[in-house]
Amino acid sequence: MAITVIPRGDVPLGQEHEFFKFVCPPTFGGGPVDAQPATIKFARKLDVMADLPLPAGVKTYNGGNSLRLWLIADPNDSSSNGATFPAKTIRTKKGDVVWVDTGFSFNTHTIHWHGIEPTPMNDGVGHTSFEVSGNFTYQFATNTAGTYIYHCHKNTVLHFIMGLYGLFVVDPPQGPKFAAANAPGAFGFDPVNFSVPIDVEAAWVPGEFDSIWNDLGHNAFMQKCDQNDPAGAGTFTQNGFLNRFRPDIVHITGVVSVPGNPITDPRVSVAAKTNQNILVRLVHAGYTVQEYTLGLDATVIGEDGHPLGVPPFDKYSFPFVIPANTPFRLTSARRYDLLLNSPNAGVFPFQVKFMDWINGTVYQTAQTTVTVV
Amino acid sequence: MKRRDFVKVGLAGMSAVVVGSMEIPPLFRCVARAANLAFDMSFTEALVEMIDKTQVYHWLFSADAGFATTGPSLPGPTIIATYGDKITINFTNNLPQPHGFRIVGTSIGTGVIPNVNKAPANKFTLTFTAPPPGTYLYIDPFYEPVNRILGLHGAFISLPKGGNTPYGGKTTPNVQQLFNDLGSTPQFPGDPWLPPPANRSLIWLFHQVDPWFNARAQAGIFINPDTLKAKFLPRYFLISGKTGAFASDVPNISIVGNIGEPHLIRILNAGLANHSPHLHANHFYVLSKNLVVQNNVLNIDTFTVGPLDTVDWLVPMIRPPDIPGLKSTPLRQLIPHELTTVLYTLQSPLMYPMHCHMEMSQTAAGGNYPQGLITHMIFTGDVDKVPFPV
Repeated sequence: MAITVIPRGDVPLGQEHEFFKFVCPPTFGGGPVDAQPATIKFARKLDVMADLPLPAGVKTYNGGNSLRLWLIADPNDSSSNGATFPAKTIRTKKGDVVWVDTGFSFNTHTIHWHGIEPTPMNDGVGHTSFEVSGNFTYQFATNTAGTYIYHCHKNTVLHFIMGLYGLFVVDPPQGPKFAAANAPGAFGFDPVNFSVPIDVEAAWVPGEFDSIWNDLGHNAFMQKCDQNDPAGAGTFTQNGFLNRFRPDIVHITGVVSVPGNPITDPRVSVAAKTNQNILVRLVHAGYTVQEYTLGLDATVIGEDGHPLGVPPFDKYSFPFVIPANTPFRLTSARRYDLLLNSPNAGVFPFQVKFMDWINGTVYQTAQTTVTVV
Repeated sequence: MKRRDFVKVGLAGMSAVVVGSMEIPPLFRCVARAANLAFDMSFTEALVEMIDKTQVYHWLFSADAGFATTGPSLPGPTIIATYGDKITINFTNNLPQPHGFRIVGTSIGTGVIPNVNKAPANKFTLTFTAPPPGTYLYIDPFYEPVNRILGLHGAFISLPKGGNTPYGGKTTPNVQQLFNDLGSTPQFPGDPWLPPPANRSLIWLFHQVDPWFNARAQAGIFINPDTLKAKFLPRYFLISGKTGAFASDVPNISIVGNIGEPHLIRILNAGLANHSPHLHANHFYVLSKNLVVQNNVLNIDTFTVGPLDTVDWLVPMIRPPDIPGLKSTPLRQLIPHELTTVLYTLQSPLMYPMHCHMEMSQTAAGGNYPQGLITHMIFTGDVDKVPFPV
C-alpha cells in the first residue's frame, strides 16, 4: 500500500498578494504616517560596513584578524562616522512621542523597536508592512520605562547577528538617574512613583558570531520572488546554511572576548562604591543559550522593558532575587534589569557561557567583573 | 476567499470548520467533550510535505476512531478532556518497531507496544483519569528522543470543571486576579477571557525536522539516541505542523480578534531546540510553565521554551500601547491613513508577527527567511468591535 502523503497545501485563493509580500516585501518611504507631534527626534542610517579588529588570540574561521560587520550609524554624530557596535543607544523618557528618521546607504532595511509596540507600519517588519527605501520616519510612543533593543528585521537571521542592533532605554519621568521599580527593599525606593535612584548604570549585551556567516551578502539564501507562484517549490533556496550557527567569536557589548581573559574594558566592567545602587541592563543579543553567573546577589526589577510589580499592567508580578553565584539562563532578545548593591568591597566576577541552542555544547565563556570599593 | 472571510473562519475558534478547499488543521481533530472518552489511535508512517514541498518521512500518531476526523497527522491528534474524565485509548502499533505513549509530567502511559509483526500482540488499551487542568505534551518516550523527534507527539489538554481561568481551583492569586481584571478594569477594556467551548484558545506545538535522520528511519536504519542528540541539525521549524507563510494567517494558529479579546496560548516544544518566541504589539503574561501555575506572572515580550517544555501565555490583545495619540480615540480615527494604505495588500487589519528569536528557526532548508517558526497576531477591529476597513 502506498504511503500516505500529508500535503503542504496551496496558497488560498485571494491570498496570493499576501504570500508574495511575505517573501518579497514592498518598499516604501517618507512619513511619518498619521503624524502626531514628536517630543524627541533621532536619526539612524543603515547600514555602514565596518571591520571589527579582533584582539590577539582571536581569529575568524579562515585566520582573519578582523570581522566584517554591518552597523547602524547616527548620521548626526561626526565621530567615527557615527557607527558603533552595538549601535548608539537611543534614550527617551516615558511618555515621549518619538520620531526616528531612518535612511539607508546600501540595500533595503527596516528597524524593529523590540518591545515597543506601535502600528505595523512603525513596527519595522517587512512582510507585515514594507522595507525602507530612501528614508522613512518611524513614529511611536515610549510608554513604559525599561530596557529595549532596536534592530534590523530584514533577513533577520543574518542582519541581526551581523551587528544591526543597539540598545534602547526608556527612562522613568524622574530621569536617567532613576529606574522604574516596585522594589520595597531597595535603597531609596519611592513607593509613590515606583522608582529607585541609580548611582551606576551599566549594560551587558552578550552576543556571538559564526564568522563564516560574516562573509555572506545581504540577501543570502533568500527565497526567489515570483509573483505568479510565490510559494512554488522552485522559488525556495536549497543550499543555505543559516540553520547552522556555530559561533567562534563572542563579545559583551561589542568588546570581543579573548578566551581565559576577563574583559576589563570600561564599556563592560563595572566600578562602584559600597552601598551604591547599580543598574545592569542585561540583554541577550545572540543565538545561543546564554548561562550567566554573577558573584553578587541580583534583584531582577524589570524584564523585557516592564518594571515588575508596577501597576496597572505589571501588578501581577514582583521583583525576584538571583542569589550570588547561582547560574541563570536567557535566550535571544530577552532582557533583565538587574539591581545590585553591595555593602562589601571586592571584585565580583560575572561570567557568560555561550551554549549551543540544541545540544548545549559550550562554545566559549566570557568574563568581566564588578569592582566595589 | 477574501481576507475578510478567512479571518471569520479564524474567529470560529476550536471547532473544526471547513470552508471551501481548506483542510481541517490536524491539531483540532478532537471530539466533543464528555465524561467518558474513548479513542482509537495507531502508530503509523507518512510523508509530510515541508513548505518547500520536500517530502519528509515521519512516524505519526493516527486518529482512527472517536475523533472528528481520522488519519495520521503532524502533530498527532489533540486530545481535550476535562479534569477527572475517564479516558480510554486503544492503541495499535502498525510500524515495524516497538512504540509507546506517555503524557509528559505524569505517570500516564503505556509500556512498550510490540511491533506490527507481533500481531495481535501489537495492541494496548490505556485507561486513565484526566490529570489536573493544564497543557500536556504526549510523546512516544522510547528511544528518547528519537521517537518523538521522528514525529510521535501531540497535545493533551485538561480543562477545568469551572472557574474563569484555565486552571479552575488550582490557580494562584495573581493568575486569578489577572483573569478577574480582564474586561473589568481600565487597563483591560473589552472582554474577559472566555473559557471553552466559546473559547479564545490556541495551541502552538513546536517541532524541528532534520531530514537526514528521517531518511535513515525510512531506510529501516536504527538511530542511536546519543547520535541524534549530538548531531541534530534541523532544516525545518514547525508550529503546529505548519511554517512560514502557511502558518501566518490560518485558523487555530494565528491570533485573530478585536482589541480587547484576550487569547490563551498553549505552547509545547516536542523538539530538541531551545526556542525564544517573541510577540510583537503586546507583552504577554506567562501563566504556567511545565504544569506549575505561576504566581509571579511576568508580563514580557520574549520567553524561553526549551525541549519538552509546556508554557501557557495570556495575550491580552490590548491596543498596541505605544501608538501615539489619545487613548480615547478609536484607532480607526487615529490612524486612518495607515488603515487605508495599500502595500501589495491593504494595511488593514493590523498584522504583527510572533516569531522565535533564535533566528535560525526562521529559516527553511537553510535559508528562505521567514519561512520557519512564525505566525501572526491580527487585530480586526477596535475595542468597540467596529471592524477596521477591509
